[in-house]
Amino acid sequence: MARAGTLSRRAFLARVGILGAAVGSGGVLARSLLAPADAATNPLLPPAVDLIRPVLAELARDTMNGLTVFAMPGPDAYSRTQGTPSRTPGAIEAGATDFIINSLDNFVPFPDELAQPIGAALVTGLADSGIELPGLDVLPVQLHSLDKALAAYLESDEALPLSFPIAGLLNLMATQVNPLAVNGPHLSPFARLSYAEKAQAFELIEKTDADLVALLDVHFPEPLKDSVSGLLKFVGGALIEFATFGAYGESAVYDKVRRTLRKRPVGWTATGYQPDGPVEGWDDFIGYYQGRQEVHD
Amino acid sequence: MRDVIVIGAGGGGPVVAKELAAQGLDVLLLEAGPRNAHPRENWTTYEDDANNPLTGYLRWGPSDRSKPAWYREWPQNSFVWQLSGVGGTTQHFYGNYPRAYPGVFEGYDGADKSGYDVDHRFPFTYGEMVPYFEWVEATMPVMTAAMGHKEQTFFRGAETLGLPVQTTKTTHHPAYRPQENAILQPGGTAGKTADPKLLNHPQATGCTFCGYCFQGCMRPKGAPRNQFAKRSTDNSYVPMALTADVWARGGKPVTLVADAFVTRVHAEKKHGVLTATGVTWRSGDVEHREDAKVVVMSGGCTENPRLWMNSGLPNPNGWVGRGYTDHFFDWVFGVFDDYTGNPKGVGSSARLDYPPYGGLENVGLPPALAAFAGTLSDSGIRGQYKNGRGQTGPWDGPAGRVMGPELKEVLSHGIDHLLSVLVITDDDVEAQNRVTLSALPADENGPIPKVAFKQRQRTARTLRNREFMARKAAELLRGAGAKKVYRIDWAPLILHVQSSMRMGSSERNSVVDPTGETRAVKGLFIGDNSALSNGLGGPNPTLTSQALATRTAENIFKTYFGGDPWVRSSAPVVSTDPRISVRLGQLGL
Ligand SMILES: Cc1cc2nc3c(=O)[nH]c(=O)nc-3n(C[C@H](O)[C@H](O)[C@H](O)COP(=O)(O)OP(=O)(O)OC[C@H]3O[C@@H](n4cnc5c(N)ncnc54)[C@H](O)[C@@H]3O)c2cc1C
Ligand code: SF4
Repeated sequence: MARAGTLSRRAFLARVGILGAAVGSGGVLARSLLAPADAATNPLLPPAVDLIRPVLAELARDTMNGLTVFAMPGPDAYSRTQGTPSRTPGAIEAGATDFIINSLDNFVPFPDELAQPIGAALVTGLADSGIELPGLDVLPVQLHSLDKALAAYLESDEALPLSFPIAGLLNLMATQVNPLAVNGPHLSPFARLSYAEKAQAFELIEKTDADLVALLDVHFPEPLKDSVSGLLKFVGGALIEFATFGAYGESAVYDKVRRTLRKRPVGWTATGYQPDGPVEGWDDFIGYYQGRQEVHD
Repeated sequence: MRDVIVIGAGGGGPVVAKELAAQGLDVLLLEAGPRNAHPRENWTTYEDDANNPLTGYLRWGPSDRSKPAWYREWPQNSFVWQLSGVGGTTQHFYGNYPRAYPGVFEGYDGADKSGYDVDHRFPFTYGEMVPYFEWVEATMPVMTAAMGHKEQTFFRGAETLGLPVQTTKTTHHPAYRPQENAILQPGGTAGKTADPKLLNHPQATGCTFCGYCFQGCMRPKGAPRNQFAKRSTDNSYVPMALTADVWARGGKPVTLVADAFVTRVHAEKKHGVLTATGVTWRSGDVEHREDAKVVVMSGGCTENPRLWMNSGLPNPNGWVGRGYTDHFFDWVFGVFDDYTGNPKGVGSSARLDYPPYGGLENVGLPPALAAFAGTLSDSGIRGQYKNGRGQTGPWDGPAGRVMGPELKEVLSHGIDHLLSVLVITDDDVEAQNRVTLSALPADENGPIPKVAFKQRQRTARTLRNREFMARKAAELLRGAGAKKVYRIDWAPLILHVQSSMRMGSSERNSVVDPTGETRAVKGLFIGDNSALSNGLGGPNPTLTSQALATRTAENIFKTYFGGDPWVRSSAPVVSTDPRISVRLGQLGL
């Protein structure tokens, strides 16, 4: 891997989506926030960590929108970008993005010992891809501020939300599949891919082995290193399965306190599941095959 | 000091506990997870609420659902689906109770005898196991399953394959049949109406065809716990264990402690022989220790090896955790013009056995689980990439995930116009498929287990059997009238678990001797699926595991308490016995 220069650093941040989410068109941060002059003169400027947190959160959400419509497309903009719009409600309407972010950030018992180095790798990695980044011109000072903010965030005691490294992984793969995805509609490279390109991104993750781990260039302490490529294979599969489970499940309309549904779940309507809601039983008992109710040796 | 401590209240532990409690022993049953004593207050019928492996009320994790699940490492695309809580993984199982094939036992002499995993047989004969099968079958009780539309559809397909109908408990040759299920069959209004007002116990008895087996059985409404339709151990063996004084002469109720995670089995040299002395468990942040004459590990195929290693017990031949079998499942489903009744009734009530290759069964699933099942694959995404596989055959197109627009189209055709077939492989015991300790950080209960399955490097026999059964599944679905047939080529979905602490005749490749006692530590027994010698040829494992646990309980009683065996000389009490119901009521359960 090449040494970090301003150019490769910029490319890497662009590829994991951070640069675009921060300062691209529609980005979360006003460029002026990254201008050092402001920092010196404006005492009200939020600390670096607060600056970067919403960028990462929006980036993760956008990336996960790209993932959930991959699992179940609907009439939304992400499904259109993907090239598979559908007239009936899909994952976005089913609240699958919230489902997956909540699962990742609050419930996946993924050890911080792994999340942290992956997260760190995604912002400090040295992937010099040589990709042109049209429209993402940033001044070295802005880049520097962004980097400092990221570093401060990673060094803080805050547990890293898992949705961030996962989004970074998807975005990195997205730009591997289609370098032009660093720019365009939505905030994240992954959400800009076509359906077939998203499938290619997953193909790369599932193939894994040395390639991806090398690309991530994560320096895991032994003996964790061994676990990482296997874990990535699992993550690749699990993202797909969870996104579909979330899209067809009831989580978005479930009232935890009353233990009832606020609305009919999208997945139930799509599939015609229990048209009148939950039951105590069904009248589906036909009889016994060949009339036999008992067998013996 | 107890007579016996049993670790784990899942499929196996409560069997040992109930049997020994009936003999009057003082038994402590420790369960890592929650006790769902009042399911109507804690459970629903919703898939995410119930089955989300991270947050659901049926998961591998602590009682407090705001806390993350317990972490396990699996270094491949796969899913290990085991549950904590009283009832263990049987809480969401389907109650399918076929017997193991005779060909997996020592002494088998059928024409197909060389077709099985001959190096890893049970160290005794099928004939010796039969009384234990019968004992469990009578206790549950096991019954021939009623037929709904999804069974009717399955049988329509099976009838085209040129196979006979099996009308015996023992499987002698390839055949199809209704399942023998540990489920009380519908009585009264059950199965005949969808009107909830008419489905209260005792107007309705047995299975109401609600279709929520995977979310836990709490029907018919108003029935005592031991008369809920599905005989998961929380509805059968656990109630018996807790009430042993009312149905067994001289019986002594078991002490059950939930939220008790055993972190260590203690052993010390006695007369020069390493002998189990007791256990340490954690409840919240508090550690407890108790001693016992006998300790029984029933934590399941993944946790037993972990506990063994975390306890520093010896592993002289290296077989602790090895030889894990999972029936290397696959999933084939058909899309029908006709109504199939897919999400209604018991999860599965029809099967096809095909010794020595494996078997098939129909499986009904609600939408989110159906979507999950359609997207768990080792063959990439249909039409996009194959991940180096993507088998072709009598199904449509290459095997792989059905997802995105294709999945939506298939499911929008109507969940009740699908029929899914679970492909069950007679898989070999292989040393490479195993549980070790993970290098990832420990959790509050110690170093965590890592479950490795090398699905692409399984034996030639295992791979052949899987392909053979997948073709049969597709042919069956076509025969039943499917318009389109999909094969997913599942990544390992580890639901049927066997043989990770296997019993065997050889000291070289077994952990447990033919009596059920561990070779390395005296007074330490294994009483669950992990003690099974092999994958049984494909039949769902719980009946055989419980029969083996019953046999092991007898051996414990004989060897350590000077008692006589009882299975051949007495009649079992059925777990629905009204005396048990009455006592449960008195106990507020
Ligand atoms: C979806 C699904 C459907 C299934 N359907 C069928 C079917 O129809 N028929 C069939 O025969 N089988 C079926 N099975 C398999 C069946 O669930 C298992 O065979 C059975 O539950 C295994 O019993 P066990 O005692 O070995 O393990 P488990 O049932 O997993 O029980 C182990 C118990 O030990 C507890 N435990 C673990 N470690 C500790 C510890 N250290 N301290 C304290 N407690 C501990 C666990 O919390 C758990 O309760 C199904 C499985 C799944 C997932
Ligand atoms: S289908 Fe029958 S056995 Fe299954 S949960 Fe419903 S009542 Fe219980």
